[in-house]
Amino acid sequence: MNKELTIDMLAAVKKPARYTGGEFGSIYKEEAEVRIALAFPDVYEVGMSYLGFKILYHLVNKMDGIAAERAYAPWIDMEQLMRERNVTLTTLETKKALSECDLVGFTLQYELSYTNILNMLDLGGVSVLAAERGEEEPFVVVGGPCVFNPEPLADIFDFAILGEGEEALPEVLSCYQGWKREGRPGGRKGFLHRVVKIPGVYVPSFYDVSYNEDNTIQSVTPNTPDAPATVTKRVVADLNKVDFPTAPVVPFGEIVHDRIMLEMFRGCSRGCRFCHAGMVYRPVRERRPEVLREIAHKQVDNTGYEEISLVSLSTADYSCLGPFLDEMIADFKDRKVSVSLPSLRIDAFSVDVAKKVQAVRKSGLTFAPEAGSQRMRDVINKGVTEEDLLHAVSAAFENGWKKVKLYFMIGLPGETDEDVLAIAQLARKVQWKFKEITGKGGCQVTVSASSFVPKPYTAFQWAPQDTLEEIHRKQGLLIEATRLKNITFQYHDGQTSIMEGVFARGDRRLGKALYLAWQRGQRFDGWADVFDFDRWQQALKDCGLDPDFYSHRQRGEGEVFPWEHLQPAVNRGFLANEYKKAQKEILTPDCRQGNCNGCGVCQRLGVPVMDWGNRSYDASKETNFVSLAEKMAGGDNCSYSIATQRPGLPGKGGSAE
Amino acid sequence: MKLRFQITKEKEIRFISHLEYVRTIGRAIRRAKLPAAYSQGFNPHMKYSLASALGVGVVSYAEFVELELAEPVNPLAAAEAFMKALPRGIRVLAVDAVETNAPALMSVAGGAEYRVTIPWTGDIASAVDDFNRAETVMFEKQAPKAKEKVKKIDVKFYISDLSAIKRENETELHFHCRITHNGSMKAVDLLNTLNEQYGLQLPVEKADIERLDLYRVDEMGNRWPMLDSLFEQG
Repeated sequence: MNKELTIDMLAAVKKPARYTGGEFGSIYKEEAEVRIALAFPDVYEVGMSYLGFKILYHLVNKMDGIAAERAYAPWIDMEQLMRERNVTLTTLETKKALSECDLVGFTLQYELSYTNILNMLDLGGVSVLAAERGEEEPFVVVGGPCVFNPEPLADIFDFAILGEGEEALPEVLSCYQGWKREGRPGGRKGFLHRVVKIPGVYVPSFYDVSYNEDNTIQSVTPNTPDAPATVTKRVVADLNKVDFPTAPVVPFGEIVHDRIMLEMFRGCSRGCRFCHAGMVYRPVRERRPEVLREIAHKQVDNTGYEEISLVSLSTADYSCLGPFLDEMIADFKDRKVSVSLPSLRIDAFSVDVAKKVQAVRKSGLTFAPEAGSQRMRDVINKGVTEEDLLHAVSAAFENGWKKVKLYFMIGLPGETDEDVLAIAQLARKVQWKFKEITGKGGCQVTVSASSFVPKPYTAFQWAPQDTLEEIHRKQGLLIEATRLKNITFQYHDGQTSIMEGVFARGDRRLGKALYLAWQRGQRFDGWADVFDFDRWQQALKDCGLDPDFYSHRQRGEGEVFPWEHLQPAVNRGFLANEYKKAQKEILTPDCRQGNCNGCGVCQRLGVPVMDWGNRSYDASKETNFVSLAEKMAGGDNCSYSIATQRPGLPGKGGSAE
Repeated sequence: MKLRFQITKEKEIRFISHLEYVRTIGRAIRRAKLPAAYSQGFNPHMKYSLASALGVGVVSYAEFVELELAEPVNPLAAAEAFMKALPRGIRVLAVDAVETNAPALMSVAGGAEYRVTIPWTGDIASAVDDFNRAETVMFEKQAPKAKEKVKKIDVKFYISDLSAIKRENETELHFHCRITHNGSMKAVDLLNTLNEQYGLQLPVEKADIERLDLYRVDEMGNRWPMLDSLFEQG
């Protein structure tokens, strides 16, 4: 086996530092009983920016006798050289071929990275199909957000871990260690029968899928008593009690997110109906401010980074963001470390926050109204009005900002041309607001419109996706409507959205097309310059599959979905009701501020929402709510004491409705 | 006060670009908590610089970083802290402290010493002899971005002589290369010159190039170390 990337190979490719490792903070364990490759199915700069693997890398490497190493997809230039010279894909640390590892773990971040998984396995000397993997080969395990419908990859991976990995992955690795020490009883099958007993573990080969005549799913049933009928995701109940990396790997080159990523909380309770992350990462669990500050200090010491990004699905919703930011800025001012937020909420508070973190630099502000018309924003439960947006941009313009970027989606369920054109009108209104406030023209507005892709476990999982023709037509409408001074229109390639849609709600039968497309040269499908739509269409056709069946079909109310045995613990009834409310343009308020909406997550997981601001909770008592109003009256709505919302109890405080 | 460090860029990290190397040094200085001086303004920058840009893939034992300090430190203690904050493949070999207004390091470098190892065992002796005896050896250097732009340089102005050692399965070249205010020439271009002028077939892309030293040169042609080292190792 040839594993060496020689001088002439490295000299011939772009960004050779992608392949050589040795970064500060990387962990080398030459001797290890169990070795797992954390394999990211995209290039180094993308994979190195992924927080999930940063967390797992450090967590696993703290375990005795177990090593976690990193592997990334070689870019096309390097792949070509590797194939020409028969060089195997290895981990960056101890240069183990993927085939020499005990486990290879892939994260499923994005449907269009699936071909890279097949390609990396092949380059790493691992059999691509799980059924063909020999006794000496590694187990292929997957996780990440798309794991709630990994069915198109069911032929490829051996097992999956649903939900958060901090507790589940060490359990799986210890299970493997035990099995290996005992001399691998029962072979590969033996291990799978063991590991499936760990909550959150899904073994696709333990389930049989049957289909109806109309090609929809009839049932997904376990074929062994060891496999549960449904697998429910794992979550960490209290994020303050799990390890967060304090000395992450510091890359040499610039990666996509080249800064400290401080994870403020997980989950989002806003309930936007298009949002996959908003459903599958529930419930909201915040880290305590003092825990976050301690992590931040250690990370600055250990990395030398100049910027801390406060990350989460919606950082402006962190309950104590105001005081927390003030403390962070004060803490790090003298050390020349800046604090930033990846996204802003559409309100004046967020502009205030932006003012604090950006100090004097006035680059653009970005807001995401998601839809142009109020009607559509109500359909998607965005809970933001035009007034909110104009209020927010007014605050921004009053504070000196001159550039605004607005994110939208087109192709949302029930969208009319009027709704599409409202996007351009909203951009114009932002420009008028600028003129009104500053008395000048010249406000730069960038309008970015992506094409909506319905995802599993969202209210829109039943909805048809726009056809390619329809996407192009709507994009055309906006191109025309935004042909205005100082408005820039950005949009995404519709073809990739269609393929993303096929795989997002796909089933096991797609595995054949995936394999065929990869064999015919597909990889890096998320990269528009490499993606080949026609080749995908041909592969689907050659496998007797109709892409429209997956993407453009209105699914029946009672239809069994291919992913229902894999549970993020959101009730189907809740989602169905949300879909109905969407059609009636009725809003559902944020459960953090009001009543439980019955999504079912807290109750089914037995894990409450953790929010440090609104309510205080005394651990010694079962329930002792202090309402938001009472707390406010006490002038102390940000006490850093434990505050949790117990599921199933009547909530108090304001309601957004 | 300014600190000057002689540091390495060794095998493990030879393929990081100059920019990546510079950023890595900056972060290591921050991790070492050296009291660096920063520029004024809204976007303050740490005041540090590297003496020369090294080609990607070239190993070096003579990189020089100059760091302006906001307050004086013990150079030896600083070197120790810096060393601990560096990734594998970068070591501190020497340290020196100078006044803040001392001239920038880059302006004093007069020459560099190279060793090039090539997995090739053809006959090189006569080419080396011819090269060493020649008055001038011209090389057409292509500008990196505009292919049609060609600059003629006299290799002998930069490299007066070279020596070669033949081993079982490789050949090692050894030479010094002059550095002027107007620049220098790349080691790899010497190999291209040898191929073009003497009909050799050195596999240039497989060459293992190492910069062994960088030094000052006085009017008499004497070589002096870049630093008046207070500390030295390796």
